[in-house]
Amino acid sequence: MDERDDIYKISYVILGGQHPGAIVNSSQKPVIGNVVDLGDKKFEVIEVVDLMPSRGRFHYLHVTCRSLE
Amino acid sequence: MDIMNLLQSLEIFEGLSDGELQQVAEICDQLVASKGTTLLEQDDIGKDLFIVAEGFAEVVVSNPSNEKTKSIVNLGPGQIIGEMALIDKGPRSATVRIISDQSVLYQINHTQFENLCEKNTRIGYIVMRNLASDLSFKLRHQHLQDI
Repeated sequence: MDERDDIYKISYVILGGQHPGAIVNSSQKPVIGNVVDLGDKKFEVIEVVDLMPSRGRFHYLHVTCRSLE
Repeated sequence: MDIMNLLQSLEIFEGLSDGELQQVAEICDQLVASKGTTLLEQDDIGKDLFIVAEGFAEVVVSNPSNEKTKSIVNLGPGQIIGEMALIDKGPRSATVRIISDQSVLYQINHTQFENLCEKNTRIGYIVMRNLASDLSFKLRHQHLQDI
C-alpha cells in the first residue's frame, strides 16, 4: 500500500440488530450493492454516509448493510 | 501486507515519520491465531496492544451482576485492540475472540511501547492524540449500533 493512499475507516451496522456490526479499514470506498464479509457472515451494502469529517487521508464512513444469509 | 505498510495504514500512527514507524515496527510481534482463540479476557490484567492485520475478532462484554453477555462489535483489518488498558491502566473491559480462520495480528508489549513513547515524546504525543480519535470513532459506531 502506498503511504499516500486514502484509508476508509468504516463502521458497518447491520439491519435487524442481530449482528454487532464491524469496524474495518479499507483502501476502497464501499458502494451500494457491494457484498462484504465481516468475519462470520456476508452482507450487502445498502447505504454509505460520512460519519465524521475526513482527517488528512483518513475518511470515516457509516455503512448500513443487510444480511445475505 | 508487511508491517511497515500496515503501520502506515493505521490512524493511530498517522503523522509519524518512516523512522519513527520503524521504531514501532521493531517492537511488534506477529501472531497467527485460529478461529476460537481468546485474545483477551474481560477483567484480566494486561496492557498489550493488538493490531488486526487479517481476519476478524469479536468483542464481547459480560455483565457480572446477571452473567449476560453481549457481542458489541467485530474488529477487522486495521483495527486496534486493547487500547483502553493502555490509557487507563485498568483491567480488560471486554473479552476478545478470533472469529476468522488464520487471523494475523501484531502484538505490541505495553512496557516496550511506553518506553518508546518516553524516549521519543513526539511518538507518545501523536499516538495518544490519534488514540482519542480512534476511541471517538468506536463510540460513534456503538451509538449507531444501539439505535
